[in-house]
Amino acid sequence: MNTDLLRILPETILVVAGILVMLIDASLPPRAQRRGLIWVAAPGTMLALWASLIQLRLDPGTAFFGAVETSPFTIFFHVLICGIVLVALLLAYDTLPRDSHHQGEFYALVLFGASGMCLLTGAVELLVVFIALEISSISTYILAGYRKHTGKGPEAAIKYFLLGSFATGFLLYGIALIFGATGSTQIYEVAHKAASAQNHTFIVLALMLMLVGILFKVSAAPFHVWTPDVYEGAPSPVVALLSTAPKAAAFALLLRVLYQMLPDLRSLWMPLLWVIAAASMTIGNLAALRQQNVKRMLAYSSIAHAGYLLAAFAGLADKGIAAAAFYIAAYAAMNVGIFAVVTLISGYDEHLPLVADFRGVLYRSPLLGSLLIFFLISLIGIPFTGGFFGKFYSFSAAVGGGAVVLAIIGLLNSGVAAAYYVRLAVTVAQKPENGMSQAALPVPQIGVAVGAALLFTVGATLWLGIAPEPILRAAENAAHALQ
Amino acid sequence: MNPIPYHWQYLPLLIQIVVAFGLGTSMILGSRFVGRHRNSKTKLAAYECGVEAVGDARGRFSVRYYMVAMLFILFDVEAVFMMPWAVIYRKLPEITGSRFFGFWEMIVYLGFVAVGIFYIVRKGILDWSLDKADL
Amino acid sequence: MTIWWFVLWSILKVLVVTVVLLTAVAYTVLLERKVVGRIQNRWGPSRVGPFGLLQPLVDGAKLFLKEDIVPTSVYKPLYLLAPVLALGCALISIAVVPFGNPEVAPQGFRIFQISDVNIGLLVVLGITSIGVYGIALAGWSSNNKYSLMGSLRSSAQLISYELALGLSLVGVVMLAGSLNLRVIVESQAAHGLLSWNIFGGFQFVAFFIYLMAAYAETNRAPFDLPEAESELTAGYHTEYSSMKFATFFMAEYANMITVSCVATLMFFGGWTSPLGNLIGPFQNQIINAILPIFWFVLKVFFFLFLYIWVRGTLPRFRYDQLMNFGWRYLLPLAILNIVGTSLWLALKQ
Repeated sequence: MNTDLLRILPETILVVAGILVMLIDASLPPRAQRRGLIWVAAPGTMLALWASLIQLRLDPGTAFFGAVETSPFTIFFHVLICGIVLVALLLAYDTLPRDSHHQGEFYALVLFGASGMCLLTGAVELLVVFIALEISSISTYILAGYRKHTGKGPEAAIKYFLLGSFATGFLLYGIALIFGATGSTQIYEVAHKAASAQNHTFIVLALMLMLVGILFKVSAAPFHVWTPDVYEGAPSPVVALLSTAPKAAAFALLLRVLYQMLPDLRSLWMPLLWVIAAASMTIGNLAALRQQNVKRMLAYSSIAHAGYLLAAFAGLADKGIAAAAFYIAAYAAMNVGIFAVVTLISGYDEHLPLVADFRGVLYRSPLLGSLLIFFLISLIGIPFTGGFFGKFYSFSAAVGGGAVVLAIIGLLNSGVAAAYYVRLAVTVAQKPENGMSQAALPVPQIGVAVGAALLFTVGATLWLGIAPEPILRAAENAAHALQ
Repeated sequence: MNPIPYHWQYLPLLIQIVVAFGLGTSMILGSRFVGRHRNSKTKLAAYECGVEAVGDARGRFSVRYYMVAMLFILFDVEAVFMMPWAVIYRKLPEITGSRFFGFWEMIVYLGFVAVGIFYIVRKGILDWSLDKADL
Repeated sequence: MTIWWFVLWSILKVLVVTVVLLTAVAYTVLLERKVVGRIQNRWGPSRVGPFGLLQPLVDGAKLFLKEDIVPTSVYKPLYLLAPVLALGCALISIAVVPFGNPEVAPQGFRIFQISDVNIGLLVVLGITSIGVYGIALAGWSSNNKYSLMGSLRSSAQLISYELALGLSLVGVVMLAGSLNLRVIVESQAAHGLLSWNIFGGFQFVAFFIYLMAAYAETNRAPFDLPEAESELTAGYHTEYSSMKFATFFMAEYANMITVSCVATLMFFGGWTSPLGNLIGPFQNQIINAILPIFWFVLKVFFFLFLYIWVRGTLPRFRYDQLMNFGWRYLLPLAILNIVGTSLWLALKQ
């Protein structure tokens, strides 16, 4: 069999599953329930995950005339993205309104978006990169506006769409300049030509433009302004996806562009990322301190986490890439988890959006309360959770790369961040005031699907915190594949 | 006589464009100067079958027109991709060494187009008489 | 020096062809009035000149001398631009149409084709699409409800049928392996009638799709919704009078002629004789040059007659039927035709 097709097997499976969902959705009568489509979407994602693991047996290499690559690096991210998507699907199954006849579109868009993200991690041809980025972005633009009958839903979608297309435009200009400067859009060829180029002016300009596009997607300062509004307006299951999977894909692209395409310009992009990392951490944490809305707070915290992650880029190639990949995995596990818990507590329609509304959750639902506290602990970065090792590797990579000051800024920021995480944790653990209506609030029901999702995220966070070795080794393999 | 270079062929096309638009412009300008002008307020009002016009035509209209416009963009781009394929189709067996290469490539592509058509039809985007679609 | 001769020659060709085209437009109008008159058991114009043959000239003069009214509520720049755009786009496409054997080229200058570009078909399709702007802008800038409704309907109709139109021609492009109209015709020249694309190329489905889409593209009956006079008075040109109205009118008929030319070129072998090599080539070079033009004009005339015949016979569609027909039947059918043609070609090789 032609290995070309095997090398895009996960993406193919996701697309086919998405099309199946679309077709079944269109064939059902207009008012019928569409929740059952999860039985296509979830197995499809699992199959894609399995297909990614199958690819381990292939020799690393490219397919379709050097457009797509399979290597431990792509497989690491494929598995990560498929895992996130699976959890997000399970979360959506139990929390989206049951009578909504747009659920088919939801599942289809998630699957199409996932295929774009997977392709983005595997693409070694800049035009394929652009197309993959667009596939994933356009799906997420629509998903962000899923609650279209609320005021904030369309606002989120429009903001994300306009700013996102603008940022993608920068990326495309960067690609065009790369092509102009080197005469190729294939990353290996560009790397080869850039290494021997005499004049780096256009390549540097192209790199700057591409960085704008990519850093927007990972919501790093100063391209972070869309994050809080979009996270607030989009439904929480979507945010669980939005804050992790596209970011993982975009970080994969960033690693590829910096370490594989233009490693020789390290002296140039390293200080730049140093500043962006420091700014993201500081801006994210300081702004999060003042937030009353839980989702906005978590949005700013995700900006800060992008900063911690970027600190790893200050590290030398092998350590830096491995640390970044590990951090993405750890961050995904705990962030999807915390959004799952927040969805359950504040409800799909978000009748309890504020930090103050979370008071006494621990007494209403001990399980959810303790899970929330657990994920907050991980986000702070206390040992025995994934968050700890993520930060540990990231900062030690930074120190290894000579960016001691950046590591110190990161540590200080972690201290600041602890303040608002602890504030939320304390609120959750406070006794509900007597006579308050909150005591009468219903206890959120945890369905089977969402239970599985929670189990999965808690398990992953704990596993990464107690026995990070296997994932770290996978991340190191990925790092080797990229060099 | 030297053979005429290919790119010169665009020159007559350009001349035709200039002549065509020039003709339209001169006809409209010409009649403006030739015809007589005897205007009145009623004569210059918007025509609504002899009744005085109510409001103007800057109101809202059916969103379906936007949907059709968007679908057109989608499908027209898809149609455009087919043109280069069609031009090279008969040479593909020589280039790729496989008789059905071009055929299967396009079947996959057209499959996506067909799924799109099926979806919009079933979702009621094209039902102008029913209000099945949740627009 | 060659370039100046070439420019001079091109200008001459453009002027002659444009004048001939405008005359053809005027007499197509007369033909329509006569034929529809006979279908409805009337005489049609018969007073001005023998058989009413001078009627178009008189009509033209009348429209030219009419009062030029610009209503107060219109948005003037676009209101004036719209008819120019409509007529301009209608007159451009003829430039790439080979209306006689282009091989007839004394001194290397082709007589029977203004511009022999490799993307001839794309030029025709592209220019025709720009024509939609004329109608859309006319309706919007008139600031009249009838005009707006008419232009919205028309724009939606034109863009919907353009898909089927474009896709129906893909099969022919596949057969010829080129977008050059001259090459497309030459690919059908081998055995006369039998090698025309409609018969020899098995493109009859494509031909009927093209024909229907083309009727819709030119806003002609039974797809003349944009100017359904019983609902919309005059559709998008309600507020246009005198020469501005005439401009739209001429644009419509010029488009009809263009579309008929394309149908002839794509499916009916263009200037080639239906008898193939049974008669000719003749000894006389002038007959050899003239005869292809005769065949071409005959075929185009046939299509124009068909247009008028259909208009005199069929009632108008309802709007939802129209959109349904285009999207649900013509478009999938066009795609199936592409699949069928490509499969046939793959098997044949």
